[in-house]
Amino acid sequence: MMPRWKGKGLQAKANADPMSKIVSQLQSSLIQFETRGLLSSCSVLVEVDAELADLLNRSCFGRPRITAQEDKQWFQLDMEEAFYLCFSLKCLKVIGEDGSIKSNEELWDYFKSKKLVFPVSYKVYSHLRHKNWVVRSGLQYGVDFVAYRHHPALVHSEYAVLALSEGDNDLNGRLRVWSDVHCTVRLCGSVAKTLLTVIVNSNNQVANSPSCLEHYTVEERTITRWNPERSREDQTGPKNGTKKV
Amino acid sequence: MATHIAPLRKLWALHVLDGNDIHLSLKELYEKLSNGKSGCYWELFEVYKHLRSLGYVVGRHGIPWSVKGQHIKSGTCSLEGSQESNEMLEMEPKDENSVIELFNNMQITDVSPAFNVYLPNSKFRKSSPGDPSFVLYISRCSPPSRVEIEALERKHGAIPFKFCHVENGRVSFFSFAKTELPVLP
Repeated sequence: MMPRWKGKGLQAKANADPMSKIVSQLQSSLIQFETRGLLSSCSVLVEVDAELADLLNRSCFGRPRITAQEDKQWFQLDMEEAFYLCFSLKCLKVIGEDGSIKSNEELWDYFKSKKLVFPVSYKVYSHLRHKNWVVRSGLQYGVDFVAYRHHPALVHSEYAVLALSEGDNDLNGRLRVWSDVHCTVRLCGSVAKTLLTVIVNSNNQVANSPSCLEHYTVEERTITRWNPERSREDQTGPKNGTKKV
Repeated sequence: MATHIAPLRKLWALHVLDGNDIHLSLKELYEKLSNGKSGCYWELFEVYKHLRSLGYVVGRHGIPWSVKGQHIKSGTCSLEGSQESNEMLEMEPKDENSVIELFNNMQITDVSPAFNVYLPNSKFRKSSPGDPSFVLYISRCSPPSRVEIEALERKHGAIPFKFCHVENGRVSFFSFAKTELPVLP
């Protein structure tokens, strides 16, 4: 499926403003201002000035919260987003309710306690973010994430992402039965997205600390429905088996 | 195992003869399909019929097509009375209408492919069929796991494969393709 840009010239605009650069600027600014986040249930709240707010918006981390404050803005980060800024980009520190800064291990344990599949979903989130895709929650589509080629204002998301793990300890439990495959593929199709499964193999690592992540391996697969009524023409000739069916 | 079947749309009629060249009634065919050794002939038949009625060329995986001039072996099927879908097939002028033992001993397992499928207008020739457009697996219980899919990829190499799920009269086809999202700027 080709990317669907939302307007003329937006692809050029995206090319002129690469996401990697925006994220890098965000990282520098967060470090410069020694930004602290507040741990709150399943979110991390950060208070930022206008410049950082702009960078958070452009890099698609967090959601702004409406407040009466004029000079500062509050953003709410998901667990994966917060941990990415803390652990992968090392540009954010998070404070717990006791007022002390949480270590990465403490954050890891905390997030795992809130979400059993956090190690797997984080691995998938960071895997795609490292490739400079914009990754947002896919809850409204019944999946874990949606992945955009750039800012959602410029382009529609192409992929609906399910974070799956291999083996007996798959807590996600998705796509175990055909009805779920039918349902998910159909829903993705109706919103013009391809279903992407990102399968995480823990390689027998116990998820005690975030250092286990580097031993996880990841494989991407798309699941698509083939419609025999639509694919009858063979345009490439009998011997060439490369036509995509 | 044979019968004359005129499906609803009357697009094609399938003549099936048993080993003794005796026509069976539809009831007898359905009974045979239901009593297959692994009880799965019905799904195989549904899939086969679905694809054939759309003009695809479907052969049983692992069974050779007949060679011109030889008696028709199992795994072949010829159409009668349908102009649109068999024009591109090279056919003997008076092919025996037989699906002799097409489904005989066939079992649906998730590890052995059911059919080789060729696109309808692919100028298919029985004498040299070439690689199928894809190999088709019929799924019984659950969707395939990643490990199972990887094993199949090693097995089939460049030839794509698909999984078919039959339930409630619905035949659905799914592809599980490895991919790698590009690193963006």
